[in-house]
Amino acid sequence: MEFFLVQLLNGISYGLLLFMLTSGLTLVFSLMGVLNFAHASFYMIGAYFAYQISAKIGFWAGLAFAPLAVGAIGMLIERWGLRQVHKHGHVAELLFTFGLAYLIEEVVHLVWGRNAVPYRVPAELDGPLFSIVGSQYPTYRGFMMLVAVAMLVSIWLVLTRTRVGLIITAALTHSQTVEALGHNVPRVFMMVFGGGLALAGLAGVIGGNAFITDPGMAAAVGPIIFVIVVVGGMGSLAGAFYASLLIGCLVTFAIGLDWSFADLWARIGITVTSATPLAALWQIKLSQAAPVLPYLLMVLMLIFRPKGLMGTREG
Amino acid sequence: MRYEPLNVGRWVLWGATALVFIVAPFVFRGGFALTLMTQMGIMIIFALSYNMLLGQGGMLSFGHAVYSGLGAYIAVHALNLAGKGAFPLPVALLPLVGGLAGLFFGVIFGYVTTKKAGVTFAMITLGLLELVFACVLMFPGFFGGEGGITTNRTAAPAPFGVNFGAPLQVYFLVAVWCFASMAAMFALTQTPLGRMANAVRDNPERAEFVGYNTQYVRFIQLMLSAFFAGVSGALSCVNFEIVSAENVSAVRSGGVLLAAFIGGFPFFFGPIIGAIVFVFFAAALSGFTKAWLLYLGLFFVGMVLYAPGGIASLVLMQFPVLRIGRFRELAWPYTGAGAAALVAIAGLVGIVEMVYRLSDTSLSSQMTLFGIDFDAKNTLPWIGFAVTLAAGIGLLRMAWRAVSARWNAIQHDLLARQKAAA
Amino acid sequence: MTAAAIELREVRKSFGKTEIIRGVSLSIAKGERHALIGPNGAGKSTLFNLISGRFELSSGNILLNGEDITGLRPFEINRKRLSRSFQITNIFQNMTVYENIRCGELWAAGYKYSFWHRVGGLRDVAERTEEVLEKIGLAKRRHVLAGVLSYAEQRALEIGITIAGGASVILLDEPTAGMSRSETARAIELIRSVTEGKTLIMVEHDMGVVFGLADRISVLVYGEILASGTQEEVQASAAVQEAYLGSTHKEMADA
Repeated sequence: MEFFLVQLLNGISYGLLLFMLTSGLTLVFSLMGVLNFAHASFYMIGAYFAYQISAKIGFWAGLAFAPLAVGAIGMLIERWGLRQVHKHGHVAELLFTFGLAYLIEEVVHLVWGRNAVPYRVPAELDGPLFSIVGSQYPTYRGFMMLVAVAMLVSIWLVLTRTRVGLIITAALTHSQTVEALGHNVPRVFMMVFGGGLALAGLAGVIGGNAFITDPGMAAAVGPIIFVIVVVGGMGSLAGAFYASLLIGCLVTFAIGLDWSFADLWARIGITVTSATPLAALWQIKLSQAAPVLPYLLMVLMLIFRPKGLMGTREG
Repeated sequence: MRYEPLNVGRWVLWGATALVFIVAPFVFRGGFALTLMTQMGIMIIFALSYNMLLGQGGMLSFGHAVYSGLGAYIAVHALNLAGKGAFPLPVALLPLVGGLAGLFFGVIFGYVTTKKAGVTFAMITLGLLELVFACVLMFPGFFGGEGGITTNRTAAPAPFGVNFGAPLQVYFLVAVWCFASMAAMFALTQTPLGRMANAVRDNPERAEFVGYNTQYVRFIQLMLSAFFAGVSGALSCVNFEIVSAENVSAVRSGGVLLAAFIGGFPFFFGPIIGAIVFVFFAAALSGFTKAWLLYLGLFFVGMVLYAPGGIASLVLMQFPVLRIGRFRELAWPYTGAGAAALVAIAGLVGIVEMVYRLSDTSLSSQMTLFGIDFDAKNTLPWIGFAVTLAAGIGLLRMAWRAVSARWNAIQHDLLARQKAAA
Repeated sequence: MTAAAIELREVRKSFGKTEIIRGVSLSIAKGERHALIGPNGAGKSTLFNLISGRFELSSGNILLNGEDITGLRPFEINRKRLSRSFQITNIFQNMTVYENIRCGELWAAGYKYSFWHRVGGLRDVAERTEEVLEKIGLAKRRHVLAGVLSYAEQRALEIGITIAGGASVILLDEPTAGMSRSETARAIELIRSVTEGKTLIMVEHDMGVVFGLADRISVLVYGEILASGTQEEVQASAAVQEAYLGSTHKEMADA
């Protein structure tokens, strides 16, 4: 029982982190039609910036400034890079962001080296938050959930309650009309792009010390957020939310479980030895297969429900 | 009545290509050159197979290494079995095994991945790649784990005494398969499927309205593309005598994408150029600097921004100018821009190399670049290279204005001549 | 009695809560040239999209040569020899005029997904392509990339792709939209010649084209058929006059 509760909380906090990433990605995709392949790279930059700032000043300064720095870089990239490529079409835009992801990884190698950097949880947030039936739940995980929820609620408020939010929501479907009404839509695009990346950077700030901060972190989480977008349904924020939580919990639970198909066969009386055909497949433990589960889910989704959890039929 | 004139030009071109393949190892002598050319041949097949998806089918894939890699794994097992005498499979036919394996996986994976098109398809290919990569590491029994599976190409049956021990023999194996694959893939573009793949790329909706199930078209195109990817995978297995998880990695997939794009994906022969450039970067440049990936990335992004049609488009753009005899007007502007670019590159390379040198704490900061010795910790080299970079960029902007002015003038002339002729 | 070429039975289409097509029933005989007219926003293009399979019906049935094609996908309907053109030119921009036409007939010629035929050597396809090129008057422009053609040429190509497969039922969506007088006159002749012996349904705004080509006319207003019949019958219909001209017409006529 305690295992279930702890893992559930862990899964939800991981899922919320994933949603912070996918929501930025989905917003930018819905607004600008650009799928930012480099989105996870800005997650990485956020973590590295936070590491640098917290090493020199402190964690809280990092929390405040790293996302802003990432957002600023994002706006520059939109202004000088993406806007230039836009006229060549969606494939070129995607390729530009792909090249960007490549470059960012190399620059990170260049500046911080190829090994992980010691970006740690700050002392004041380290330690247990509460105990559930003997297991301790770390404070930092609670903090992560708090930040994620606070950020997402404020974004929802901005989009639905402020003037800027209204303009953005309108521009999501009718950017030319909004421009004809006198709003500076290119600047709106730039802000949304920067904002989406700032969100990714924030996720990096709070995720980088909870997990690991190394040059491979973008490549590790990038494919997963794309899977979430496909599973949730392209362009659907609600779908991304459910898919993020689903996959967050799925992976977290799986890592903690040592079940395998061999156990299953054993229950019905079949013993799996190394001589059994496909023995390697049956003997794989769920904990080993955990990284693969999001992709399996994606394949199953594609076969049985191609439009995703909440996607609309294309066309 | 002929429906198409006999295309003499085409036969000459193919003949010349075959000649180049045969003569190359005797013109560019040396072990290193041979290694490079063999790798280029393998990459050409891989990049052309990739372009069946991107350039011809409009399908951007981030996971093409799945088919070449799995083809390589099947091939390496087949080769090892043949070496043990399990069945008589000559190395020369191994690429066929790889191709059929690629085709097999193309059928089962392709069915799922082609359910969606466009950007969604791209993401699905990435997910599939990660899935396969993770599975490769999860089943070390079949895939050999991180170390992979090694093989010995000389142990297999050797008809006519050719056991492929010598690099020259491997080169010719690659050359023959490369030429055959190039010809086959070109022939495919001239079939109903090839044409409809282009149609689906240009306007999938209209393709549906002329009777075609676009998902099927993309599916079959992917299957055929996977076949050739498998061929390249098997040749890679023969050449390197090892197949590991790296063969199904995102790095490999990214590499072939880069190669096809840099060469010019809208054109059939574009990826051939791209493959050659890519292997040059990867094999030759990587020996000189650790930063070669960074340079490659910068080159790629530069091309996306300023020349999305690739090197092929840049070359082809010059042809109309050549035809009206005005190319010599561009010679000086181009040279000027090229020189300015070199200056800028020198400045950039200097800064990048210095940063790399400093970030690697195991090496001393003394270094040599362009024949000059200096210490990366001093401020002087930093200032020097920064100034070079700034100067280079400034010069490039000026030179480019000159090029643009001349180019526009020539384009006006071309347009006027076209109108007059019409 | 032979089946009608196209029959619509109580066809309804809603987008969200808005009902665009409200119970349209129509029957078009084989070989008939039928025009669909109506004010902007009446739902004419939507009706075309429903017939050709681009949109799904909310309710009702559509029959093609007596066969129910409700819910079939566009390529399935096309294979049953119904072909349509588009109001906004929908061609293959990166292929030549010749290749565009050829794409229109590859399936109909039976080559399907073949990757073992050399398309350049297919005599039947080549002959048919030549025929169509001649008909639409683009034979001299065959090697030009479709994307650089003039507007009127693109509209001609649009029609060319539509008829290339030898469909028996042809839907043309505003074929003369944006054309000048002389271009329109040529287009009328083109449409007349290519639809000899076939069933034609045409959405049009240009009354000259409509009255010059159509055997029967249907008037669609707010998703409903107000009148359907010959030119005289439709012109005489009070409901049609009201829809187009408003009630002031009567006042002016009395005055």
